[in-house]
Amino acid sequence: MKKRIGSKIFLGGMLVFFYLPIIYMMFFSFNSSKSLSKFTGFSLRWYEQMFANKTMLESIYYTLLIAIIATVVSTIVGTLASIGLSRSKKILREIVIQINNLPIMNPEIVTAIGLMLFFTSLHIEKGFFTLLLSHIIFCIPYVMLSVMPRIRRLDPNLAEAAMDLGATPFYALRKVVIPQLMPGIVAGALIAFTMSFDDFIISYFVTGKGVNNISIMVYTMSKRVNPTINSLSTIIVLFITVALVVVNLVSMRKKRYTNRSYRHVFVISAIVLGLGIAGLNALRGNASSEIDPIKEYGCNTLNVFNWGEYVGEDTISGFEEKYNVTVNYSVFASNEEMYTKLLGGESYDVLIPSDYMIERMIQEDMLKKIDLKNITNYGGLSSEVLNLSYDPKNEYSIPYFWGSVGIIYNSETVKKEDVEKEGFNVLKNPKYKGRIYVYDSERDSFMMALKALGYSMNTTDEKEINEAYEWLKELKENNPVIVTDEVIDGMINGEKDIAVVYSGDAAYIHDENSKMQYFEPLEGTNLWSDGMVIPKNSTCPLLAEEYINYNLEESVAEGNSAYVGYTSSVEKVREKLANNEFKGNSAYIPRSGYEKDEIFNYNEKMKKVLAELWIKVKAK
Amino acid sequence: MKSYKKLIQPYVIWISIFLVVPMLLILLYAFTSQGNDVMTFHFTFENFIRFFQDNVFLGVLIDSFRIALITTVICILIGYPAAYLISKMNVKHNGFFILLITLPMWINMLVRTYAWIGILNDNGVINNILSFFGVGKVHMIHTEFAVILGMVYNFLPFMILQIHSSLAKLDKSLLEASSDLGATPFETFKKVIFPLSLPGVISGITLVFLPAVSSFFIPKLLGGGQLLIGNLIENYFVSTGDWNFGSAISLIMALLIMVSMYLTKRLDKNGGDS
Amino acid sequence: MKKLIQFKNIVKNFDDTLVLKGINLDIYENEFVTLLGPSGCGKTTLLRILGGFLEQDEGSIVFDNEEISKLPSYKRELNTVFQKYALFPHMNIYDNVAFGLKIKKMSDDVIRQKVTRMLKLVSLEGYEERNVDQLSGGQQQRIAIARALVNEPKVLLLDEPLGALDLKLRKEMQLELKKIQQEVGITFIYVTHDQEEALTMSDKIVVMRDGEIQQVGSPTDIYNEPENEYVANFIGDSNIIDGIMKEDYLVAFDEHNYECVDFGFKKNEDVDIVIRPEDIDIVKKGKGKLNGKVLSVLFKGVHNEIIVETSRGSHVDVTLTVYEKKPIYNEEAGEYISANNFYLDIQDLEELNDDDIIARADAQAWDAESEDYLSIANIEYDIKAEAGTYPVTFSTSKGTKIQVDIFVVKQKYVTDEKKRIGIAAFDFFTTLDEIQESQALDTDLRTWADAVSWNLDTDEDIEVRNVDYDFDVDELTPGKYIVSFSTIGREFKIHTTRNATVDTHVGIDFDPEDIHVMEKMGF
Repeated sequence: MKKRIGSKIFLGGMLVFFYLPIIYMMFFSFNSSKSLSKFTGFSLRWYEQMFANKTMLESIYYTLLIAIIATVVSTIVGTLASIGLSRSKKILREIVIQINNLPIMNPEIVTAIGLMLFFTSLHIEKGFFTLLLSHIIFCIPYVMLSVMPRIRRLDPNLAEAAMDLGATPFYALRKVVIPQLMPGIVAGALIAFTMSFDDFIISYFVTGKGVNNISIMVYTMSKRVNPTINSLSTIIVLFITVALVVVNLVSMRKKRYTNRSYRHVFVISAIVLGLGIAGLNALRGNASSEIDPIKEYGCNTLNVFNWGEYVGEDTISGFEEKYNVTVNYSVFASNEEMYTKLLGGESYDVLIPSDYMIERMIQEDMLKKIDLKNITNYGGLSSEVLNLSYDPKNEYSIPYFWGSVGIIYNSETVKKEDVEKEGFNVLKNPKYKGRIYVYDSERDSFMMALKALGYSMNTTDEKEINEAYEWLKELKENNPVIVTDEVIDGMINGEKDIAVVYSGDAAYIHDENSKMQYFEPLEGTNLWSDGMVIPKNSTCPLLAEEYINYNLEESVAEGNSAYVGYTSSVEKVREKLANNEFKGNSAYIPRSGYEKDEIFNYNEKMKKVLAELWIKVKAK
Repeated sequence: MKSYKKLIQPYVIWISIFLVVPMLLILLYAFTSQGNDVMTFHFTFENFIRFFQDNVFLGVLIDSFRIALITTVICILIGYPAAYLISKMNVKHNGFFILLITLPMWINMLVRTYAWIGILNDNGVINNILSFFGVGKVHMIHTEFAVILGMVYNFLPFMILQIHSSLAKLDKSLLEASSDLGATPFETFKKVIFPLSLPGVISGITLVFLPAVSSFFIPKLLGGGQLLIGNLIENYFVSTGDWNFGSAISLIMALLIMVSMYLTKRLDKNGGDS
Repeated sequence: MKKLIQFKNIVKNFDDTLVLKGINLDIYENEFVTLLGPSGCGKTTLLRILGGFLEQDEGSIVFDNEEISKLPSYKRELNTVFQKYALFPHMNIYDNVAFGLKIKKMSDDVIRQKVTRMLKLVSLEGYEERNVDQLSGGQQQRIAIARALVNEPKVLLLDEPLGALDLKLRKEMQLELKKIQQEVGITFIYVTHDQEEALTMSDKIVVMRDGEIQQVGSPTDIYNEPENEYVANFIGDSNIIDGIMKEDYLVAFDEHNYECVDFGFKKNEDVDIVIRPEDIDIVKKGKGKLNGKVLSVLFKGVHNEIIVETSRGSHVDVTLTVYEKKPIYNEEAGEYISANNFYLDIQDLEELNDDDIIARADAQAWDAESEDYLSIANIEYDIKAEAGTYPVTFSTSKGTKIQVDIFVVKQKYVTDEKKRIGIAAFDFFTTLDEIQESQALDTDLRTWADAVSWNLDTDEDIEVRNVDYDFDVDELTPGKYIVSFSTIGREFKIHTTRNATVDTHVGIDFDPEDIHVMEKMGF
């Protein structure tokens, strides 16, 4: 008896372990605030937002659509291939099975980069097609893995018997062989669906053009973890639970899975999924205005590639309505990721990279000149962000947001004097050991080190860079946590005391948690700006210019800036917000005109050196 | 049935294009230096020399295998007893329990991993509970512990399911035979059940070790900048854009994994013979 | 001999079905005991309870004067040979056989000696290093026996161990098992559903049914003096006949009295009578106790198995009208039309409609050139609800006509009040072609005539076994023929070395001591 209780506790504990995050997630999907650690009250706002969030609905739509098509295709192909394989010569069979094992026995990331290199080498533009194709490619081996054992158990004379009775090979296959394999086929289809539905790594490397599945959306959403994802997951949990209960009830009543009951399950799930897809498609559909975009601009779809969580809530839908077009909106997490994706053959119409990346792209002749005649709102831009060294005449780029890099600290636990006196060196102060976030970017980290040492952040001097490397290694002794955008939630929740952040994020953090104060070190910092550009391979440049101009409209720019917290490039908007939403929020207006502040210059060689050094710092 | 033989031909072409060529491309990139075009590749070992000459990269490699190994061992230690207990339940409970274990796998892995951040945070659920009982804060997030926990959480179900299926396949009469021949339940477990469930353990190891070695979002989210081999590959492909070096790292990882899988399988064979 | 095992009132339930209903059984030392019965009779359950793999709900087991019900299987001094052998697939032959000895922590030399000796006993020396899957079924079987016997148990339990082997190997193993049992001199408890196996090997047979023991006895007792119909039926082929015990030493069946050697029944008690097939002899017609017709002769190797019908079952005769179908040709319209006469049951009249008539008469019309079917546009008939002949005319739209007759009849049926059997069939028409093309004429005739038989009391269907007719199919000409349908009569199965010719009449004979009278089983 004792043993039984022991095992019950063990299994119970394991279930708690499995379900704790899920219950946690479901619980906080009803939270009235954005916090993921303090429950401030019951609300359904994240559910409402979920259904209003086009990006999210689109990702669900693509996830389902791709999972279904990939399941159907891979199940059919996998089943037929398995049957064919069982009739082939042993040597061919062995070879095919070995190759089939590649995606199963290799880490997913290897398959992913293999496919990425493949598509790139063939100059296949990444998007829905490549994503779907990749899913089919990696699903088939799993289907075969599940069907083949069934075939081995099959009486090889069955099909012969059918053909002996006059059936054509196809008829025998359909009426005799496949029904016998049904349990294996259904299991295979289920595995394929699960694999496709949940896939992240492969999808992450092979998609493009704003076609995202749920995983990629979650990964790139990390800027500000949006509780809507919890709502979505809660709905998925409920849906699956209900589906499983129904299936179990049906099978309990039928006792035995017959072919007919399989067919029923198929038909029912197909109808449900079909309705879901149709519904999602309707939800993401766009309203129309009078404009005929094809006539006006020669196209009606615009591909925009921007940072995650870097646009106002109504900006995209507003543009779509106003110009009667569709915007495919995708996001990236770093300039380099964006650049790599462009090299990988993806094409966009509007990009929003940072200064040094714009410089690089101009150098590499990747950008199209912008016709300023079409940018009627150009006059409203602040002088601080115009004619900067990366694009001296603003021929290629129109500023979007700008800001500085600085330190945000908890004014209750960190002494103001320490921060103001020590500047970036405060991060090495042993008093704050283990209570620090550092942003995971070689550019910003070396900027910080070089500035702390009193050098230019654009130095190419090997000695200076080595000193900076040593500085960063010493910083590593102080046990900082190296993160990207989790820093925002972390600081809002007071997880750490000091962090290096972009001014815009600091503005948002301060807005949510007023204890957090922003400071721009006196040894100087990086002044940056992100600009809208049109790549050379844009297929819709006129509409792209219209989109850029639209983002400079005061109401639109205000929507963007107010939602994101970054400083608007439009002067009137900046002033308005500084006196309203962000009143008293020093981070919203970056320091300007300070001589020690610099703009980042692009240098291909240095970038590689710094990148590798930074990896080494992190790995220590 | 001869007529079905033809069904394989299109598939052979399919896998040649979509499975073999991509792998060859990784090989090609790994052994060349960066050129501007496919045609301007230069054959070189430089990428491999660069990797093995640098202690940092080797350190990352060792870390990845070490963490994956710890994860795998923990998964066996928890997964085996769990699978064993489940297989001893009656059919009805057994199916239900397996369902309970598979259900969380339907929720996006990233979402579940995110949820752990909120639980493990310094101001998170666990620490709130601890402080409620007057116990001081325990720092968990952004540590190796968190990374291993995240991996165990994500991959444990695979281990349980694999071991369970091999235990469920076990012929009950073998256990009766063992008992009949005088073996106590413990001896039966040691001499019959465990050796016969080894294939399940081996495939469980494959399903845990493989993704654990190459995972990059779990260390990224829970490790706070902890760099594992998967992150290195992601870094070189996505951020740095050095695809040649990235391919070389992938190749090194894939080869090492193949070797370790081969050794594991050998282990099974030897274990089975003795 | 010493009592080794005592089952006392063993009761076992599975999911609310009683699979053992209070078993009491004693087993002695050095006995070869067989538990015999069909699947589901509880024999395996009883064995598994003894082996310790199941626990009885009630009752006790005494083994060597010790109550062992609570003892786990690994502490019981008996070993089992499992149905599918249950050899450990991850061990070689040596390790399989040595398993029990290693558990007992014997020294390696002793183990090696014992294993070698045991492998010799089962004639598999030299197989030590082989893997289990390298052995044939028969070899695996022997290893399973060796693995059990090497532990020197007092009792060996064998659960249908020969079930998976082919017939020849089975016969061999039966002899070998018996030999081994005699050599090692321990008790074997053997479970099987194969009565022949049981008769060949056992010292004692326990016949079981539905969780109860029907009879315990030596093979000869069980065979010659079955205690009831069930045992008689299960053990060997038997002729089992309902009879009446007139008085001591006199029993009656099929309206005749026969001398027998049984006594002690009530006067006029209903009884079952068993006559073994090998106890009956074929003699000339009129020279035996009964006469009959030979239905079939099967050569069975040593003897012939002859079925003789001594009295006919209930029968009904009907008229079969065979005709040739000749279509009528209408030259003007270029059309053919054809139809048949048909019989109609008077009871079916009410529900009759035009489509039925077309179908029953098989009326067809077709274009002479294209052979396309044409529709029957018009039907004229006038039928009254009484037996008789009524004309019906079919015609096409172009006026091509044919007239046939409908014979309204009552179904012929015969009832046999004594046997409580009814049998019925219709007169019917068929074409010559239909009969000559039939692949299974008896079945077709039954179908066409709709021949049925039933029990008058219970209304259950009874097989219409025999179809008799006196025409030669190949030389059949149109005309009327009598077809007779009948149920099974009294049939005797006879095993004899004599021969007989099918359809000849013979006499059968048996001695009074070959008649075994048994009490009717209560249901």
